[in-house]
Amino acid sequence: MARRATADDRGLRKSKWAPYGFLSPGIIWLVLFFLVPVGILLKASLSTKPSRFEEPVFDWNFSNFSTAFGDYGTEFVRSFVFAGIATLLAILIGYPLAYWIATRGGRWKNFLIGLVVVPFFTSYLIRTIAWTSILQDDGPVVALYRLLPWVGADGRILATPMAVIGGLTYNFMSFMILPIYVSLEKIDFRLTEAAADLGSTPWGAFRKVVFPLSLPGVFAGSLLVFIPAAGDYLNNRYLGSPQTSMIGTVVQNKFLVQFDYPQAAALSIVLMVIITAMVLVYSRFLGTEGLAV
Amino acid sequence: MSGPVTRRQFMTRAGLAAGGLVVAPSVLAACGGSDSKSSGSGSSEGKGDAQVWFDNWTLYIDKPDDELYGKGGTLDEFQKATGLKIKYTEGINDNGELFAKIQPLLSKGQPIGPNIIAPTFWMAGRLITLGWVEKLPLDKVPNAKNLITSLQKPPSDPTGEYSLPWQAGIAGIAYNQEITGRELRTVQDLWDPAFKGKIGMLTEMRDTIGLIAMSEGIDLDKPTFDKFQPAFDKLDKEVKNGQIRQFTGNDYVDDLEQGNYAACIGWSGDVVQLSKSNPNIKFVVPESGGTLWFDTMVIPNEASNVDDVAKWMDFVYDPVNAARITASVQYISPVQGVQDELRKMGGDAAELADSQLLFPDASTLANLQSWGNLDKEQEQLFDEEFAKISGT
Repeated sequence: MARRATADDRGLRKSKWAPYGFLSPGIIWLVLFFLVPVGILLKASLSTKPSRFEEPVFDWNFSNFSTAFGDYGTEFVRSFVFAGIATLLAILIGYPLAYWIATRGGRWKNFLIGLVVVPFFTSYLIRTIAWTSILQDDGPVVALYRLLPWVGADGRILATPMAVIGGLTYNFMSFMILPIYVSLEKIDFRLTEAAADLGSTPWGAFRKVVFPLSLPGVFAGSLLVFIPAAGDYLNNRYLGSPQTSMIGTVVQNKFLVQFDYPQAAALSIVLMVIITAMVLVYSRFLGTEGLAV
Repeated sequence: MSGPVTRRQFMTRAGLAAGGLVVAPSVLAACGGSDSKSSGSGSSEGKGDAQVWFDNWTLYIDKPDDELYGKGGTLDEFQKATGLKIKYTEGINDNGELFAKIQPLLSKGQPIGPNIIAPTFWMAGRLITLGWVEKLPLDKVPNAKNLITSLQKPPSDPTGEYSLPWQAGIAGIAYNQEITGRELRTVQDLWDPAFKGKIGMLTEMRDTIGLIAMSEGIDLDKPTFDKFQPAFDKLDKEVKNGQIRQFTGNDYVDDLEQGNYAACIGWSGDVVQLSKSNPNIKFVVPESGGTLWFDTMVIPNEASNVDDVAKWMDFVYDPVNAARITASVQYISPVQGVQDELRKMGGDAAELADSQLLFPDASTLANLQSWGNLDKEQEQLFDEEFAKISGT
């Protein structure tokens, strides 16, 4: 009796500490590469630079934040609108594709999913610049585009919001397809047969059974597309114009051209806070179980 | 009119990509903290077994039928003449980008990789003031005596000990006559409503604002922000009304070739080179004036093989080699005797000897202005306003 109790005790003690042991690499990673950098960013955002090439001095300078809101409100709004549209488009294009691969892919499934990832073998920068060749004003794509009745002979695609949103959608599409595919893969499609037996139409079965079950994938995909898209600057740099400048462009310029680290840090923090708030609202709307993907 | 992607466009892009690739390690190194030795050796690895690594702008050296550097081209000849190996990259697209790339390393006293870079005069001036470039081993560059008098001891390098000009050039108006349908002569021509959304500006603030300022009757020799306000207002207006399509670095040559631009501000040599393959592309110094600038060769701190770098500088300051470069890049050479060498070469090269864009005479020079010195505070005001307007 006594010996068995000790064994149970040890088992209990083991199970009490083991999770922390397993978690520690993750916790250390989070502290070192997330909390500490955010702390540094926060400190920089409240600092003042005496002049361009001098180190910033910490002095609770909150005016960096008022400038961030005051001067760059348009860029913030534009970033969220562009990223939001890109996310929606990615769902509209990516969902049917993921659905098709998951249900009709058969033995080609892995190959087809592999194809979705293939573009990543080329650098992000090169892929974006490639679009400037495809969409050039003298190119065949624009020639076709100009045939549309509402476009006219002066129509262009580059240096318009359409090009920037298109670039964002294209560049982050895979991040939408993969999680949706994973969540569709897990669904037992005999449920749709059961729905049919109970008198549901195929569309009804999709709407009431399959789609709700795949929402975690849509949720994860939306985060993976929206967040990097909102902070992106490359697509605007190569496909956009001064009229489409996004907040990432401003941060990039403040940081790398003007060396205004405090302003750049303040803008980054504002971006981070707004995105976090939006994600919280969105997760409430779609259900937090989405986070479990 | 243009094929899918020409060889030059591909090379330009490859240069851009290389630029992107160089950024990554330097950013990583910037995060690396105090361990200067390890990240230092990391970045010099990129040099391979080459003794000289020159990081330059695109379209800025002769590479005849480029199989890597071109048989009989200057890079090839240099390797044959000295037995040294040179690595030549086209990673510079914009002075601001260049500074952002090298600043994290040079400010910590670490080598950046290339042992010669080609910043524009004002950026060279900034690097000299910050103490980030080495004194040139001029005693080992006897040909430096061939430097033309007008570029000796310029305001950006008052003692002339830190920089040697690479090429000089003119910023003016480049246009695609197939799209404009007429010749352009003034900066006002750029604001023609017919070209709405097809006008490009340079991210190089001094050239863009300089040209506009001159068209508004503002001189460039003693620049102050207050004096230049009308030029910024004009630029802002043309951005807001959609006349100006985009601000770019050296990649404007693509936009011009691809028909994205009807006209833009451009650099003389690039455009003259482009017009060889596409005669519709033209360059003009606007009636109100063009800017005269020069790019330099400087040796960043902690660079290796400084004596080998001296051999390169000496080689390109030999008028024969300088003329070979000029015949290809078509910029103003800083080397005396190039005009005679070009005449000796005969053919197309001899014609260049009479070009006003390469050897401007007194009346052309009278229409060109160089920027006076901008002190730190003024430069910041200019840069901030320019960034706000250009959205880049």
